[in-house]
Amino acid sequence: MKGILFAKLKTFIRTPWLFILMTLMSLGFAWIVGGADDENQMQVPVYAANETIQDGLIGKALTISDTIDFNWMSEKEMTDQIADDKAEMGVKLEENDFQLLTGVESLNADLIKRIVQQAYENREQQEQIVAATSLVTEKEKADVQKELQAAMEAPVFSMDTGSFRGTDTWVYDDTFQRLFGFALFFMIYTVSYSVLPILTEKEDGIWDRLILSPVRKWEMYVSNLIYSFLTGYLQVLLVFLIFRFWIGVDFNGRFAETLLLLIPYVFAVVALAVFLTAIVKNQPQFSAILPLMAVSMAMIGGAFWPIEIVDSKILIALSKINPLTYGMEVLNGVAVYGYSLEELLYPISILLLMGVVLMGVGMHLMEKRHI
Amino acid sequence: MLELVDLSKKYKQFYAVKNLNMFIEKGEIVGLLGPNGAGKSTAISMLSSLVEPTEGDVRFNNKSVIKKPAPLRKVIGMVPQEVALYDDLTAEENLHFFGRIYRLTGAQLKQRVNEVLEIIGLTDRRKDIVKKFSGGMKRRLNIGAALLHEPEVIIMDEPTVGIDPQSRNYILETVKRLNKEKGMTVLYTSHYMEEVEFLCDRIYIMDKGDLIASGTKDEIKRILSAEKTISIQADRLNDSFISKLKQHPTINRVIAEEKEITIMVAKEINMFSTLIKIAEDAGIELNSVDIKTPTLEDVFLHLTGRALRD
Repeated sequence: MKGILFAKLKTFIRTPWLFILMTLMSLGFAWIVGGADDENQMQVPVYAANETIQDGLIGKALTISDTIDFNWMSEKEMTDQIADDKAEMGVKLEENDFQLLTGVESLNADLIKRIVQQAYENREQQEQIVAATSLVTEKEKADVQKELQAAMEAPVFSMDTGSFRGTDTWVYDDTFQRLFGFALFFMIYTVSYSVLPILTEKEDGIWDRLILSPVRKWEMYVSNLIYSFLTGYLQVLLVFLIFRFWIGVDFNGRFAETLLLLIPYVFAVVALAVFLTAIVKNQPQFSAILPLMAVSMAMIGGAFWPIEIVDSKILIALSKINPLTYGMEVLNGVAVYGYSLEELLYPISILLLMGVVLMGVGMHLMEKRHI
Repeated sequence: MLELVDLSKKYKQFYAVKNLNMFIEKGEIVGLLGPNGAGKSTAISMLSSLVEPTEGDVRFNNKSVIKKPAPLRKVIGMVPQEVALYDDLTAEENLHFFGRIYRLTGAQLKQRVNEVLEIIGLTDRRKDIVKKFSGGMKRRLNIGAALLHEPEVIIMDEPTVGIDPQSRNYILETVKRLNKEKGMTVLYTSHYMEEVEFLCDRIYIMDKGDLIASGTKDEIKRILSAEKTISIQADRLNDSFISKLKQHPTINRVIAEEKEITIMVAKEINMFSTLIKIAEDAGIELNSVDIKTPTLEDVFLHLTGRALRD
């Protein structure tokens, strides 16, 4: 077994190009598309009906938002940007109300609405507090407001709040969506092309030589699959490490758990690749089917966009037999929702079950077939 | 030593090998000859315990290989038809890999790798990556990979396909040397008559899954003792000439190729003047008429009506 692993490792060192390409693709897509840097923070044009709004509490609240970059402009500029598809939506602020102007249906509409609404509510709250003080002069009112701001920034005690999440609620985190989605998607290629040599080595007669040697059949399979698992895992590990320590995505403090709970997904993908290798007749057929399968899996598994926005019952049903769906569920569960291991047992179990079934059927078919 | 008893392999309704009976004695070089698709590879896959036969048995030292393949596998070396090597590894790394799977380690492995590199003449190229090798060098290394564990029996499935004459000669000489110096038993399959004629003590000829002849070279050639082979060459052979030859009562067989026609006639008949006349009647000009000593190729032609490379 060591001999086979050693040969695989040497081959990998000599020809790491696919691995490098897929790692760079994962990084590129997750980073550039995912907006991990400030330049890609979502830009939203905003127009204030009068200057006091922009200079007041609402304007300040929007300016310091770290989720959305609100750009102040005239009403015409804002509507032009939306009409020209330069912005998904804009916000028109009035004294006691606001309007959300949407050009395209966007997942971010709710988020923007919440931020603006929160700014209005905070202003209302502060105005009511000032009103309750029965102060008369504007200067006195301004002083109280300053004191209030200072008190809020340095509270006497802090309180964490939480809520039970219903099944209909979900959180969209763009960085994690892209990072997890593209990392899991591109890993399918690396793993599959590392399983493929089982087929080519059988065709070339290398396996015949191994069968005639004292090496046992299970050693031949296990060493090949360990190698495939390690290359797939290493690729995602590198991508996550770069995001964690270079770009500074902290995985909400659950980096180690994210890496650990990645294992069932990598196992399921290795098994899927074994199954695919077993059902194709040759390498060209494999190369034709793999992209179709991987892209379809990504589309219905929530790698390219959140599965929660898919309405079609057929696609949702198909996503239930897709390892990528559960892979995303596990990683989002850990890093975005902060779920415990117990709460993630269901998707982890499904991934392990898929892995065992696909591996079993795949190996059976491989052994049955005459090459 | 090794025996194939009524061995058959059936895929759906098609027999790849049918009722094959063969034996190989210790220290022999046995040739298995036949055109592509004759069933040679299937036969040796069954012999080496890689493919289970539909019927029949393979016996090694009088014990069934099908029931217990391990004793045969220990002493067998297999050279597959394809180049079964890792392209991205060097010659030395490939040999190390195949040595390791035979549980060779340390100094013993190193020594065997050096010896094998010497045998196959690749010592100077040991550090080169296999994908940069010529076809002939790959074939030599392919043989080397089967020699590391010093097998008693080596099975070679068309080891010279697609290589230059120089490499081919080197391989044939190597096989002869292994047999003479190490006493290695060799089963050599090929569709090249001259290779089998050069190497083998005994020959089995297969066609379409059947064994059609067997024996020593002389025994097989005696099949043609009553006939002689005449080769006729012309620039523009026409259908009329071929048809007239086929209809001639003294000509037993006619094989027509682009610029050459091979005919078989009874040994005592002088065909020269007859051939000139038939050529004149058909309006063609002959370039040459050669009477050939019978070869195994002629035997195959006689037995099947087809050339080996058809």
